[in-house]
Amino acid sequence: MTIRLYRALVALLLPQGFNDAFGEELVFVYAELDREARRRGGTAEAVRALVGEIPGLVRLAIRERRTHRTRRAHRVTPRLEENMFDSIGQDASFAIRSLRRSVGFTIVAVGTLALGIGANTAIFSVVNSVLLSPLKLHDPDRLLAVGEDSKAATTLSVKSTSPASFFDWKISSQTMDLGAYDAGYNRTLTGMGEPQQMVGTQVVGGLMDVLGVRPMIGRNLTVTDENPGAPPVFVISFDAWHRLFGENRDVIGKTLTLNGVARTLVGVMPAGFTFPAAPNDLWFPGQLDAASRANRDQYFLTVVGRLHTGASLQRARVEMNAVMDRLTRDWPKYNQGNRIVVEPLRDTIVGSVQSRLLVLMGAVVFVLLITCANIGNLLVARAAARRREIAVRRALGAGTGRISRQLITESLLLAVAGGIAGIAIGKGFLKLLLAGQVTTNLPRVEEIALDGRVLMFTLAVSLIVGLLFGCMPAWHLTRERFTDGLREGARGGARHQWTRNTLVVVEVALAMVLLAGAGLLLRSFALMERVDTGVKPDQVATFSIIKRKPDPTFVPALLERIRGIPGVQSVAITSMMPMSGRGIGAWFNRIDRPLPDNVQPTGEAYRVVTPEYFATVGIPLTAGRMFDANDRREAPAIIVNEALVKKYYPNEKPLGKPVYLGAPDNRLFDSAPIVGIVGDTRDVGLGSDPLPTVYIPIAVMRNWPFYSLVIRHSGSSAPIIASARRIVRDIDPTIPITNVQTLSEIVSNATGAARWSTTLVGVFAGVALVTAILGVFGLLSYTVTQRARELGIRIALGASSGGVQSLVLSRGLALVGAGLAAGLVGALVLTRFMQSLLYGVTPTDPVTFAGVSALLMLTATAASVIPARRATRIDPIIALRAE
Amino acid sequence: MTDRSAAAPPLSTQVFQILLSLVDQDLHGYAIIQDVAERTGNEVRLTASTLYAAVKRLLDQGLLEEVRSRARDDDPRRRYYRLTPVGRKAARDEALRLERLAAMARAKRLLPTSR
Repeated sequence: MTIRLYRALVALLLPQGFNDAFGEELVFVYAELDREARRRGGTAEAVRALVGEIPGLVRLAIRERRTHRTRRAHRVTPRLEENMFDSIGQDASFAIRSLRRSVGFTIVAVGTLALGIGANTAIFSVVNSVLLSPLKLHDPDRLLAVGEDSKAATTLSVKSTSPASFFDWKISSQTMDLGAYDAGYNRTLTGMGEPQQMVGTQVVGGLMDVLGVRPMIGRNLTVTDENPGAPPVFVISFDAWHRLFGENRDVIGKTLTLNGVARTLVGVMPAGFTFPAAPNDLWFPGQLDAASRANRDQYFLTVVGRLHTGASLQRARVEMNAVMDRLTRDWPKYNQGNRIVVEPLRDTIVGSVQSRLLVLMGAVVFVLLITCANIGNLLVARAAARRREIAVRRALGAGTGRISRQLITESLLLAVAGGIAGIAIGKGFLKLLLAGQVTTNLPRVEEIALDGRVLMFTLAVSLIVGLLFGCMPAWHLTRERFTDGLREGARGGARHQWTRNTLVVVEVALAMVLLAGAGLLLRSFALMERVDTGVKPDQVATFSIIKRKPDPTFVPALLERIRGIPGVQSVAITSMMPMSGRGIGAWFNRIDRPLPDNVQPTGEAYRVVTPEYFATVGIPLTAGRMFDANDRREAPAIIVNEALVKKYYPNEKPLGKPVYLGAPDNRLFDSAPIVGIVGDTRDVGLGSDPLPTVYIPIAVMRNWPFYSLVIRHSGSSAPIIASARRIVRDIDPTIPITNVQTLSEIVSNATGAARWSTTLVGVFAGVALVTAILGVFGLLSYTVTQRARELGIRIALGASSGGVQSLVLSRGLALVGAGLAAGLVGALVLTRFMQSLLYGVTPTDPVTFAGVSALLMLTATAASVIPARRATRIDPIIALRAE
Repeated sequence: MTDRSAAAPPLSTQVFQILLSLVDQDLHGYAIIQDVAERTGNEVRLTASTLYAAVKRLLDQGLLEEVRSRARDDDPRRRYYRLTPVGRKAARDEALRLERLAAMARAKRLLPTSR
């Protein structure tokens, strides 16, 4: 493919004489270079090599043609002797000369194209890696996500399930092999320098075989490793292997201390395997005992299936429905109202960002289209200005085809130059996106790269773009008699004007659609920023620690000493930071009003905290009391938030009412009264409603293993964190400190995804607006120049300057109005696809639409005023004499 | 053909490297690219078109000639090139010129005085 392309380029660009002597050899040598590049780095490297050849080839072509021509000038060449390639080559060299003559035009055209193509290249790199390329797992199209969801849920989501349900599914399924995992199984590694936090995943049911991944060294985890009592083993990721052992292959059988337990390393996984999400350092076999295997109320397993050969997604779904019907009969208490959801695994991984990325891709495509329309307009204007030249060439015998080809060659050259510059710009832009942490919260971010496919995409886009705007002036020629050009002088005809008007209308319409989209995103972002988070995030430092070994003195000692750091106002512990997700949940049961036997209770989020938590993060108490030292395991009490009150106690007084969390036979505590009600926090995102939440004192959940500390302080957070770090190390040097950040950072992360897509779409819309307005301005200025004689006559006959001005202005506004109307219709149709990204506004929000329309109209009017005023200053004498 | 006097303009890096490759052996196009890359540690990487742009010019100027004889089992599309005496002199002139430049730099203590 690349070689054929190179051969075509050589034939196209280089003159016959050179090709006769060296052409074949040149291609032959290139073929060897191509082979070498492929050996080095596959198709991507070959494409890079081809791109690298182009500048040299173009230079060679220019030089050879120049010498060729001077030599040929001395002899007469009969027309028939020229071959097709020769005339194409002639076109190219003529195009280069013609573009070099108008440097300004060329720079502007190539520059704007490069920006447009560069933005497309960068965003496409992201879309390509995240959405388009298959998951880097064996035969990924057969992998499915299997999960449970409530029958009542309106939008499908694949949720985790309980161990007993998972094993039931696994035994019952004839269409899939099933495995499961529990992510976030993090472990502290000690005995290898500083204690380190390792990200781990527990796998169940032979997940590694389901995924079809083979270890690079050693053996895989198997189902037998999952038997309770089997020797504790684990496998390690390539990155962790590199980090801990410097890629020493002699590590199998080594013992590592993880959370104080010695485990044997049995395998190293291949590079790039980070399932379920990057980073992941370790995988453990989940050794569930009989009681855990029979558990039906703890939902912590995420299930993955691999379709058998010959089975279909549809069959798997039908099968799982039947399985669920049976389970509902057997275990009504647990399965009533639920169903099993089966979706392609890829969809569940990228699902959340799909619409965001597609909106961005749409935005950059629009920007590129507007750029094309603008350059097309410039080219039409150029063609109009060159009518006389072209007419003369036709009169001397050049056919329409020959001249069209000439014009298309010119635009193709522009587009390819823009494309090459665009790759460089795209590369920089992508680097900026990745560095600016714009892509945080994006799945598969580690896979994002500008690869061969992206380069092919850019090349294709450039060629399409070139043909698109190159055809515009060429199309005109075919519809014109050449004598027109000679007769009318240098002025453009009515048809040119018509095309140019249409192009400007299209530009304005496209810009309008983009502006509407950006406006909607901006408005929802502004609304979201104004949402009360429920916490007071300023001057709160946070970090996490893990303490697996139960130690009743640890927490009080730690809090006591941190409280003593100068500048600390209050300190508390929580099982889960606010604003960072739902966290663990358990069934919420009212003891005073039990549910009927066949109704399954709903799981609600709970957080384990120390008494000072609410004061430290700034959650207000609205009724009852805070926790105190008397709330212990023996006399538990809970606090709930307002969302929970609204859901479970509408029109009731919840204070004092007894509840328990968990299943009847597996309770977190037997019974506890609600002693306080606190304000809501937006834990699952500012755009979502607050979750009903239960707060439990840490004294009730004595052996809770991992905590986050929240410290409200005065002054800067750095010295506070440093002192706290010293204190933790002092109490127990094996405890790692992770996730050091301020509460403000956590809050701003919560809006991160919305912020970056809003910013990018906003920037693209701004570029679109400027480009479209430049289009309007350019067209009007051109019109004024073209109609100078007519306007001059009008002025000579006594037209007022206001009259002339409004003549030009009304023309501009008519164009903008038409574009605006078309854009409004387009926007109303297209913004519907943004629904999932919006918060607090509808896709047809009248305020936004009115606002951006006004913005567009205003800027367009401003751009029209300048040429309109210039029209009034036309001197009739000069205008008339100019002919 | 052209006489390269002492006042001949300096050769470009790429041209000089091509001549240098052919000083002690006759090579075909791809081998020249490889030899240059190897000797310069990939610092000078010729593309096919830059190579042939230079080869054509060097042939025109009489610094190179094509070798007609070749091994029988070699690919017939391969052509071998050889330095002409003029080419050898041009390469030596360039090397001397570079040496003079280095000497000047040494005299100014820009480079350490070697040997």
